[in-house]
Amino acid sequence: MSIRTWLAERLPIDAVQAAIDHKTVPLHRHSFWYYLGGMTLFFFGVQVATGILLLLYYRPSSAEAYDSVQFIMTRVPFGWLIRSLHSWSANLMVAAAFIHLFSVLYLKAYRKPREFTWLSGMVLLFITMGFGFTGYLLPWNELAFFATRVGTDIPGAIPVVGDAIVTFLRGGPDVTGATLTRFFGIHVAVLPAITTVVLGLHLLLVQYHGMSVPPSIEDEAARIGRPVRVMPFVPHFALRDLFGWMVALALLAGLSAYLPWELGRKADLFAAAPAGIRPEWYFLWTFQALKLVPGHVLGLEGELVAISVLSLGALGILLLPFLDPNTTRSRRVVNWLASAALLFMAVMTIWAYWGGE
Amino acid sequence: MTPTIRHAVVVGGLAVWLGATGWVVVARQPGTANVQDPAVAFQGDVHQQNGVTCATCHGAGTPGPVDRTKIAALCASCHSDPAFMRKYRPQVRTDQHAQYLTSVHGQQMSKGETRVATCSDCHKAHGVLPVRDARSPVAPANVAATCATCHADADRMTAFSRDPAVFDDWSHSVHADALLERGDTSAPTCSTCHGSHGATPPGIDSVANVCSTCHVREAELYRASTKRAAFEAMDMPACLTCHSNHKIVHPNDGWIDFKEPALCATCHATDTPGAPVIRTMRSGFDQLNASFHEAEAVLTRAEEAGMLVDDGMTALRDAQERRVRLRVLVHSFAEEPFTASLTEGLAATTRAQAAGEAALEELSFRRRGLALATLAILGFLLTLGIKIRSLPKP
Repeated sequence: MSIRTWLAERLPIDAVQAAIDHKTVPLHRHSFWYYLGGMTLFFFGVQVATGILLLLYYRPSSAEAYDSVQFIMTRVPFGWLIRSLHSWSANLMVAAAFIHLFSVLYLKAYRKPREFTWLSGMVLLFITMGFGFTGYLLPWNELAFFATRVGTDIPGAIPVVGDAIVTFLRGGPDVTGATLTRFFGIHVAVLPAITTVVLGLHLLLVQYHGMSVPPSIEDEAARIGRPVRVMPFVPHFALRDLFGWMVALALLAGLSAYLPWELGRKADLFAAAPAGIRPEWYFLWTFQALKLVPGHVLGLEGELVAISVLSLGALGILLLPFLDPNTTRSRRVVNWLASAALLFMAVMTIWAYWGGE
Repeated sequence: MTPTIRHAVVVGGLAVWLGATGWVVVARQPGTANVQDPAVAFQGDVHQQNGVTCATCHGAGTPGPVDRTKIAALCASCHSDPAFMRKYRPQVRTDQHAQYLTSVHGQQMSKGETRVATCSDCHKAHGVLPVRDARSPVAPANVAATCATCHADADRMTAFSRDPAVFDDWSHSVHADALLERGDTSAPTCSTCHGSHGATPPGIDSVANVCSTCHVREAELYRASTKRAAFEAMDMPACLTCHSNHKIVHPNDGWIDFKEPALCATCHATDTPGAPVIRTMRSGFDQLNASFHEAEAVLTRAEEAGMLVDDGMTALRDAQERRVRLRVLVHSFAEEPFTASLTEGLAATTRAQAAGEAALEELSFRRRGLALATLAILGFLLTLGIKIRSLPKP
């Protein structure tokens, strides 16, 4: 009896094999964007692998965190590479996730019956940003410390529960070692646990529904009376996916070797905030927008108004599949709104980098 | 009246009005009032705040100016009375007048020479502020300018056979730089070396004592050196021989050499006693400075390439400390403590250099590794590309 037969008697290997054999991916001029989800998944895999290795040496206390990262960077064999890979991969993962979001948005892949795929994807994006926010503080350097102080201060503008949220996030009234321990716990236990469930659901739904075909391609196929072309998932799509991952790996290696992630100076709780404090690039647009809001808008506190608008925007995009009636006009409106949001984010980010001082 | 004349009258009137208003505004500002407006100047005076009135100093009736020769005694009537002064500040000093009487100013004033300084010249007559108030003319940063009021006045100083260039000299010194540019209020100003109320020029014998108030180790080494006896025998003013008195510039390692403008060359030639020590120190500084800069360059290169070189930087800081210590040890005018410290300094620069080179080697290793990894990935990508192209068309 071969090993395969032995396993097939105990595991649903044949059923999985049959599913893989029959699985296809639409092939059209927008097929490139299908690879972005896989790319995000690849970076997530790098994060998990390098994160576990960093855990072997990292110490989550305000007294030891900075020194332990410095130890990783200078003493641990290939520690510099692991930390740089982790930091670069985190940033590329956020970038890939955002591109994935907008490609899904423009290609209208959130339409019925993929509402829950969209919802789980949005939750994964929020979790990714949560990973970024909590991970930024962990090296306990000056820049991260003050940026976290600014970032965790923002919910304080929310009436009634604002202060409670700030205290919950920081583990006290201010950013201290308690915040570091808390962020570490969230970064390595809470968020990975939630991610495992939501990512599992997301991938399951992607497999269940298959790749969405954009309305324009569907219309074209209907017009010429031919079905949309497809390619087998294995090996055609899988090998192309692997090709992209290898390119990403080469990029990661190059960035880590030529631009190793800097450590900065150790955080000093009693020092004055240095100039140029800013969050990670993917929070910059929010940071700049909040800075530009006047103290008071229509008699209300400006920061509260800005937070409300941003929250409403986030809620709107989360519930988009249920708000978009999927007509030609509504699709055009969504495209315009998405472009406006992209432009706003780009302008705010550039402003924060070069003119926001 | 022609339009031109009318225009001139209006403009002239406006100018007079603006000038008058400006004068009133300036005159009413505390601290800018002059002696012609003592009542305004007295507002904010530390005495006024503590209940002292015009009559306390000027007596009842029409106030008139106090005789200059009697000002110090008048101030002393309160300021030399410990029981009285304790009511205001328990730890306040009350020896100012006694000190003043020992000073050149006080002695001249006692002889009736009214052109010398008395209390009100430095502290002001009206509008006296505590020394700790930065606006006070005797606050550390203002002392030199206050002394300069008289001591930079060539006419006045010539009459007393004093050098009017002292303030200008001090202004170009390392001490003035520390006090005025870097805001280090512990840096010496006129009163630090000459005394304040008992101001007098330090004599040749006491110069080293004055400098040693701050430069403790240098003075200790000098006193234990053979140079002390030699300088005393030649009546040379210790520290001032090399460093001068007011225009004390930042010392540099180039001073130790046989060629002009090196300071040692002023007295020493290559065949005079002490030449071997000068030679040892000269070559020691050359060696240490060269290895320091070399190590610094390597570390900077590694750091700019993104490497963490904290160990190297710590060693470099150590080397810098040794370099400073070595400059202090020059005052021993002997080879032995100098060479021992030089060896330690060179060891520190060697450690720094080694750390920098190790970082650069590590960087090179990383880049070689990256090149190999990239080649491997490219090879894999090529294979993958060929495989993808060979797949049957969907």
